[in-house]
Amino acid sequence: MVKGVKAMVRDRVKFLFILPPVLYILTLVVFPLGSAIITSFTNARFGSVESSFVGLRNYIAPFDDYRFYNSVYVTLFFVSVIVPIEIGLGLVLALLMNRNFKGRNILRVIFMIPLFVSPIAFALMGQVIFYEGGGGINGILKDLGLPVVRWRSHPQTAIFTVVLADVWMWTPFVFLIVLAGLQSIPKELIEAAKVDGASGIQLFRRITLPMLTPVILTVLFFRIVDTLRLFEIPFTLLGGGGPGITTETLTVYIYKAGFRGFFFGQAAAMSFIYLVLVSLIVGVLLYRVRKYYV
Amino acid sequence: MSDNQKRGARVTSKRVNSFVADIVTYLLIAVFSIFFLFPIYWTFITSIKVSADTFTSKFIPFIQFEPTLKGWIEQLQAAENYKALLNSTIIGLASAALATFLGSMAGYTLARFEFRRFFKNSDIISWFLSLRIMPPIALALPFYALMLYFGIIDTLPAVILIHTAFFMPYAVLVTRDAFKSLPKEFEESALVDGSSRIQIFFKIALPLAAPALVATYIIIFAFSWNEFLFAYVLTNKAAVTMPVYIAGTVTTVGVLFDVLSVRAILTILPPILLGFIIQRYLISGLTMGAVKG
Repeated sequence: MVKGVKAMVRDRVKFLFILPPVLYILTLVVFPLGSAIITSFTNARFGSVESSFVGLRNYIAPFDDYRFYNSVYVTLFFVSVIVPIEIGLGLVLALLMNRNFKGRNILRVIFMIPLFVSPIAFALMGQVIFYEGGGGINGILKDLGLPVVRWRSHPQTAIFTVVLADVWMWTPFVFLIVLAGLQSIPKELIEAAKVDGASGIQLFRRITLPMLTPVILTVLFFRIVDTLRLFEIPFTLLGGGGPGITTETLTVYIYKAGFRGFFFGQAAAMSFIYLVLVSLIVGVLLYRVRKYYV
Repeated sequence: MSDNQKRGARVTSKRVNSFVADIVTYLLIAVFSIFFLFPIYWTFITSIKVSADTFTSKFIPFIQFEPTLKGWIEQLQAAENYKALLNSTIIGLASAALATFLGSMAGYTLARFEFRRFFKNSDIISWFLSLRIMPPIALALPFYALMLYFGIIDTLPAVILIHTAFFMPYAVLVTRDAFKSLPKEFEESALVDGSSRIQIFFKIALPLAAPALVATYIIIFAFSWNEFLFAYVLTNKAAVTMPVYIAGTVTTVGVLFDVLSVRAILTILPPILLGFIIQRYLISGLTMGAVKG
């Protein structure tokens, strides 16, 4: 047996196995990203072959651009508002669903649905639900004699609409994973604590929460990474980050700069600043989370 | 009787507490249910309303409004819907197959072999994991340029190539986990019997891991189906996927809410149905194997 294991370790066939997937990523992800580094130092524009080196200009320009600052602010704002709400609600829902009651399994399946709704489809559904003239929520508010909400045309409420949409789409993700974490806590542990006279709150703080830490960190990692790339709802439901630029996230702004303004060099430079920003924000988290994989 | 209830019976105050807790639980669950079901329900009833009714808040079919299948029949006859649905299906099937296959090669290697020189297994795993943090827009621009160079903008292969690359890290980490949980004995005895590593991978490891592989395949299919940014950047007419197609719907059909709703449902239905099938593997799939379901 030991011999077999050693043979496995030494076997050179492992390079043959790992090479195709690694080469694939190198060719289609790392190589294009590398070429974008070169692009980011040029004044390359879409469709034109000629471009010349402009040094660090593309990297300096964003720091003189209020829309870039705005998009950084909008992105960070959404992360700092959306992620805590989703983690909080997901945690509450998971704790509720961890209790025994009838219909629990059906509900678990129902709460899973938003996970599979493509953000673009939700943006389309949002056209109907958030229609300001009536029909969706405003129609109901009118019926109840309540004031209607300008879901998409007023800056502040548009921000709220984005938050609401994201919370709808991603709270189930937090919920499902935290619930799995809750259910993997050994029952004996909780029993023992109860025998020792621990109160509900003590139980939660001393046992449930510490046992959930890996799960919560994992969820936090994925939610922060995905909220940092928020794109679809502001881009489609709010017409390209509107009203004005109130919901213009970094992805929306870089998309516009690259594919509407055709400033490839600038967009590439902003992408790398963005990448650095993301790495700074989730780097520590990534370092913690990678322990659960290796 | 659950454990909870047993203990509640011992002390009366505890019983009252658990009764209150039950009420609060049901109330909160009801609120959550309404929150999550409302958009789906509203879209569904809008899809069976006549256009004029879509601007009203009527929500009980047959009683408040007369349902109609007009929108559905019209949309199911529209060839352009099928084209987008077909494109999404082909892209999903192909990129999920490629990503799962390539991913399982890496996953198997990382589960069964040990790299010691240059880099360790944990380095390779971290590398695949760190790909997950890259903002898609950073890749979208240069990838677009690359596809332009190869002259395959607005073709299915362009989207398949990028979806495979983008979702492969999931497959690597999830299948590694699956292979690790399989017993080594079969493979070792096959090795003693003189099978090659490649034979063992295809004839023993892959079949044994089949359930996890199918689940990975389905999850990546759903990811690919729902992906918007890359598909939007890389296609404009011939190869548009369903999300790209419906994103354009807003400008072409305006406030024809019944049409919007039918198309939204056509888009969300396939991944939802697939999601139900692989419930058991969902948690591992979504967290790249960090949390077991």
